[in-house]
Amino acid sequence: MTDLQRYYDIVVTLAKKDFKLRYRNSVLGFLWSLLNPLAYMVILTAVFGYLLRSNISNFPSYLLLALLVWRFFAVGTSSSLYSIVGNPSFITKVHLPRFLIVLSANVASLYGAILEFVALFPVLIFLGIRITFLALLLPVIIVMEFVLIFGVSLGLAALNTRYRDFNQLWDITLQLGFFLSPIVYDANLIPERYRFIYFLNPMTRLIDAARDIFLFGFPPFLTDYAVVVVASAILLLIGGGIFRSSERNFAEEL
Amino acid sequence: MAESSVHPSEISRRNYRLVSSSRADPSVGGGIISVVEVNDLWKRFRIPHERRGTILHSFAVLLSLHGQRRYNFEEFWALKEINFSLQHRESLGIIGPNGSGKTTLLSVMAETLRPDKGEVKTYGTIAPLLGLGIGFHPELTVKENAEVYGVLMGLTRKEVKARTGAILEFAGLMKFQDSKLMHLSSGMQIRLAFSIAIERNADIFLVDEALAVGDMEFTEKCLTRFRQLKQEGKSIVFVSHALPTIQSFCEKTLYLLHGQVRAYGPSSESINKYLADIKEGSLITSQIVPT
Repeated sequence: MTDLQRYYDIVVTLAKKDFKLRYRNSVLGFLWSLLNPLAYMVILTAVFGYLLRSNISNFPSYLLLALLVWRFFAVGTSSSLYSIVGNPSFITKVHLPRFLIVLSANVASLYGAILEFVALFPVLIFLGIRITFLALLLPVIIVMEFVLIFGVSLGLAALNTRYRDFNQLWDITLQLGFFLSPIVYDANLIPERYRFIYFLNPMTRLIDAARDIFLFGFPPFLTDYAVVVVASAILLLIGGGIFRSSERNFAEEL
Repeated sequence: MAESSVHPSEISRRNYRLVSSSRADPSVGGGIISVVEVNDLWKRFRIPHERRGTILHSFAVLLSLHGQRRYNFEEFWALKEINFSLQHRESLGIIGPNGSGKTTLLSVMAETLRPDKGEVKTYGTIAPLLGLGIGFHPELTVKENAEVYGVLMGLTRKEVKARTGAILEFAGLMKFQDSKLMHLSSGMQIRLAFSIAIERNADIFLVDEALAVGDMEFTEKCLTRFRQLKQEGKSIVFVSHALPTIQSFCEKTLYLLHGQVRAYGPSSESINKYLADIKEGSLITSQIVPT
């Protein structure tokens, strides 16, 4: 058996296990994960659509699309934080490339995200999104986001072994990111002079791309793809670098 | 159960320097062939005084004037100057009091720990039976756990699926295959883990205290299985406190004390040395177990 096949088997098996455990503990397990974005959609529509009178048309579907894209990132990265710390025996007792542990946590999140998209699709259609051939671009968006998540997760999982309170910092970062990405407002509200920096955020690009596809009915700009690819590459380099430099000490830190 | 033939791709790509050509059939040629060579191996552990690093703590240390050094730890040599070799078809026992470095040595051989000095050369694939039951989850069924554990231990998913029946049969857990793992006794869980790990097709088996876990019937079953593996041309390293078993099963025994080789040779000699040390009471100071 080749190494590559072994790695593939490990990732698939661990991801399957992780996925089962996330949802098995309660019968409502999977329903809860659907309820979460729906509840957010209702709350945010009430606050921003009704109280603050956002003039965005079709606000609920505008929100729900962004929430699904955001949730994949938020859940994917935060569950990876514990992938190493939560499985010390995988580090100390088995000989396998350690990034596979992070990767399988990410793959479990990918399964979850795909299921959420599929299950909430009827809701999106009910809320009036447009289904065109452009919907075929959604897998591209998801794959790109997956690579982004993997790069970030490598860094996070490694840092969380060294600093056990790193998850707190990441929680705050995610909350910040939620408002630094155009989820509850339109990116055009950002003042001109900050826009360049604002649009360097790959999550902004991914959310806008999903809206382009399903709400506005045109394909995402090439610059959207470019920013996401470049940002993912940079984050993969940084995250991978952090992971490589600290992975030698995992066994002793755990 | 496990096929005895070694697939060419299974032979370790790590160290070809010495015997790669003779590896195809080591029993030919009459010479003694080592499958594992441990040369002047040292392993150090650092025991940090501050158990868990946090960002806040790092800041506090940075800010304080008389800040202690950021990495404050004690050094502890778990293994010192270890030399030995394991031959093809040989069984080697490793004995010694708690905290003498037995498991550490196995972990370095299994490559889950890095040596600080010296090297371990291996020729062939290693199946470490360390940490039996890692990755087991009480909420999953026996079958599901078997799949996860089998894959972690180096079987392919196909192999695990094909052999699940045989594994459960050997473990005597056929009727529990769909119950959650938490409904099994801890002895049964270890039996399951052991039965899976032993299915691995490898040249060298590293066994840590596995014989002490099951009931007598299961221990006997395991020993039979190990004899069978030996006849198939496998090499086995046993860490155990069951001295009679070591004596009857292993040609050679390594006696570790304080992380050093106290005796290495025919099993009866090493074991006698150990027993003599116990009688003299010279082992009492050996408990350098980090807390």
